Amino acid sequence: MNDLLVIAQIAGRRCALPALNVQSVIEVGTITPVPRSPAYVAGITALRSQTLTVIDCRTALGFDPDQWPCDHRAVVVPIEAHPYALIIDRIEDVTTTVGELGQVPGGFGTNWARIATGMIETRIGPALLIDVHALIAPLEELGSAA
Amino acid sequence: MDDLLADFVAETREMLEASEGELIAWEADPGDRSHIDSIFRFVHTVKGNCGFFDFPRLEKLSHAAEDALSDCRSGHREPDSALVSAVLAIIDRISEMVNAIEAGEDLGEGDDAALIASLEVGAAALVVEGPPAGAGTNGEPEATEPGDEDQGHAGKADAPTILRSIRLPVDLLDRVMSGVSDMVLARNDLAHRLRQAGNQPTIDGPFERLTTILADVRDAITRMRMQRIETLFGALPRLVRDLSGELGKQVMVDLEGGDVELDREMIEMVRDPITHIIRNAIDHGIELPSDRLANGKREIGLLSIAARQSGNTISIVIGDDGRGLDDAKIADKALAMGLIDKAERADMTREAILQIIFRPGFSTADTVSNVSGRGVGLDVVRDNLERVGGSIKVSSTPGCGTFFTLQIPLTLTIIAGLTVEVGNQRFAIPQSYVEEIVHASARALDFTCVGETALVTFRGARVPCVMLSDVLELPGSELSESERTLVLLRLTSGDLFALAVDRIHSHGDIVVKPLAPAVMKSGFYAGSTLLDDGQPVLLLDVMNIAEAYELVSDARLRMQLSLHDQEEAIASPTRLMIFTDFEGRRRAVRLELVERIETAPASAIERNAAGARVVVDGTIYPLVGLPDGTLASEKVRLLRLDDKATNLLYAVREVEDAAELAGAITPVPEDPMIEGLTLIDGATIALVDGHELFARYGRPAETGVKPGVLIPEGEWAATILGPLLESAGYVIMRDAGAASDALIMFEEDFEAAQALDMRFDAPVIRLREQPTAPPGAETIYRYDRNGLFAALESVCVRKRQAA
Repeated sequence: MNDLLVIAQIAGRRCALPALNVQSVIEVGTITPVPRSPAYVAGITALRSQTLTVIDCRTALGFDPDQWPCDHRAVVVPIEAHPYALIIDRIEDVTTTVGELGQVPGGFGTNWARIATGMIETRIGPALLIDVHALIAPLEELGSAA
Repeated sequence: MDDLLADFVAETREMLEASEGELIAWEADPGDRSHIDSIFRFVHTVKGNCGFFDFPRLEKLSHAAEDALSDCRSGHREPDSALVSAVLAIIDRISEMVNAIEAGEDLGEGDDAALIASLEVGAAALVVEGPPAGAGTNGEPEATEPGDEDQGHAGKADAPTILRSIRLPVDLLDRVMSGVSDMVLARNDLAHRLRQAGNQPTIDGPFERLTTILADVRDAITRMRMQRIETLFGALPRLVRDLSGELGKQVMVDLEGGDVELDREMIEMVRDPITHIIRNAIDHGIELPSDRLANGKREIGLLSIAARQSGNTISIVIGDDGRGLDDAKIADKALAMGLIDKAERADMTREAILQIIFRPGFSTADTVSNVSGRGVGLDVVRDNLERVGGSIKVSSTPGCGTFFTLQIPLTLTIIAGLTVEVGNQRFAIPQSYVEEIVHASARALDFTCVGETALVTFRGARVPCVMLSDVLELPGSELSESERTLVLLRLTSGDLFALAVDRIHSHGDIVVKPLAPAVMKSGFYAGSTLLDDGQPVLLLDVMNIAEAYELVSDARLRMQLSLHDQEEAIASPTRLMIFTDFEGRRRAVRLELVERIETAPASAIERNAAGARVVVDGTIYPLVGLPDGTLASEKVRLLRLDDKATNLLYAVREVEDAAELAGAITPVPEDPMIEGLTLIDGATIALVDGHELFARYGRPAETGVKPGVLIPEGEWAATILGPLLESAGYVIMRDAGAASDALIMFEEDFEAAQALDMRFDAPVIRLREQPTAPPGAETIYRYDRNGLFAALESVCVRKRQAA
């Protein structure tokens, strides 16, 4: 297993996104807020002529985004034909996996369990592998419930 | 072969390719029902389409296969390998025939009886050689049948045919489209930088050209995706004619709204649903002529199909004046089929029962006809529409007719939009909803609050007013109530409400893009769009907002009742538009006369002895109210007055406001142009006499005849002369062969042409480079704008007189 991973810090934790899912990493420009949408929707922004839905991963996971400084970069992931820009703390690296996907006894904590696929060993250390679909999909349920 | 046939061939082939996998899977496991469904749909569609063209052989084959498959679906028959082979052989035959049709060959009188017979229960299995399932492997099954006459077609049909159109994957179009949008944004950025850098003639010229080219390309690309619904409607009269002939009915079609533009993909999406519904309407809805006469109806049934764009959806209504849907029969049938139970039925309204017809497997037809009634169709129709975010509803009055309403979303289409601002954020509203824009300070609005609902008075009626900042829970704006702008929105249900915003930004065509589901769920937005500066803005879902505030009919009815008495009390006062004319006098004109306020560049105004004219949106109107002498400003505010027959533009220095006519009008017999004087807010204002105005100056607008002018080649003509003429309402032609109303040439070129004894089929206006004219020359200095326009105008006047 030698898959490419995009390593990012989300709420101070090292997370890994499969590079296959990632379309690009962008500098987030002006974000147009979307009033009355769920809190984790930071707004929409334009990437050339494409409109991206900006999701703040920290808020989505139930953290306070102000606690973590942000380098204004976002990971663009297309999910079900809609492009999303995921705001994270910062991008660390692009690296390859060195081990198999594993679980940790005791789990990853309630905030993370929903979106974590498991722990993955990478060249720069262990990281939490994130399922991008889970990151968006359950959010919608939460959003409609709110 | 016409386009319809080409479409039929392409569609059949596409479906064939798509069902190939299913065929193979079915062959492997004949008992699996899920494969039968898609193969059934294929033969069903082929059958339907052949009824429309004249292919009796094809129709017989597909009908036979459909019958057999239908039995399997309803459980009357167990599919076995013999049946599979027989169906596969028929599908192969269909594929050959389609190839023959495309090649323009005659299908001949081949005998398909053997193939059809093999479908019968207990028929001997066809011996199928080689890989039978591949629909592309032409000819193999038929090798088992001696005496087949059109064996040769398979070979011939493989020969390449001439392609007259190509089918492109929609993603490719999308990519090109977004590429062009990116280019436009890059151009805007560049334009911005160029402006900062100051004038650079060497760059500005090519840059302007780039802009023009880009605009053209953008236009073309946009049109690539858009298609008038006419293309779909075009095929319907024939379909109706053939079907009604076949069923012994007389049906008249009424098509409306063919100019509604739809995304090409959407047109493909609705093509089948519409065909299905029409087929059902003619088969089940419209009665036989004798029955119609017996029921006191006209012998000829009416089928009406209307497309309409309303806000962010396009609705297509298909109605017939037939016998209508029988809800009792539908409910009984649904009960019998186990689609609903008794308790459910008791609770269902007629409306709800009617919608059962969209459930899978439902059919009311007692007998299965050749045309419809096999239970495929409406459920598929609904699924297809829902997949693209649309919906379908049916309403029906027994004995009077049935209406199907299809709603198709407008995503990825281009609509006219109004951009408004509230709390420093911009939003777009589909222009089609906008009835009027009123400044909240207007006294006549009479802003009041009844309970929590704000009301404004608009044209004598109380209209609910919603603050956009409240709707979106944005921080209250810094503007006081009277500084806001009200956008009056007319819903498709006819309800009117006012949306208060901070200010209006701009209006123009916007490309609506879909939003992510998380954002859509909020229910306030219909899509997003990019502004010229590349900023995304949200498109408001006016209908949903109105529903959230219970402003749509049903809910509002109760409220209206309570308001009714108040409305009676408000007498409708005469309203006036107050303005200052070019002589600095305050004047008023009756508001009903004012159609709208226009702003025109001074160059669009033409003055001559006969009076002044102005070109607005390609139409020439008479213009009054201009000052003597030249205009000081580049742009002129114009009131467009309308007496329902003609239009007249009244130039004003400043538009003030609308006011109510409070006191009496004192006549002023000395000035025929003035109806009288009246007091408004303590000041005397002269009221313009509309009758006299139209009697003197009113003339029907001269539409369409934009004179075409052929201009010389070269950069000067392209960048200086061309735009000048265009802004003055002329059409610029560059192709020397084109028929034009006037030719503009440089003196040197004209002399050269004369030397060659060339003839001109239009009057020539000659330009010279020097300001001073050599004696006796009939030339105009190239920067003499007035001279040039005078010459063009006189040429055009002569032409009009000649015509």
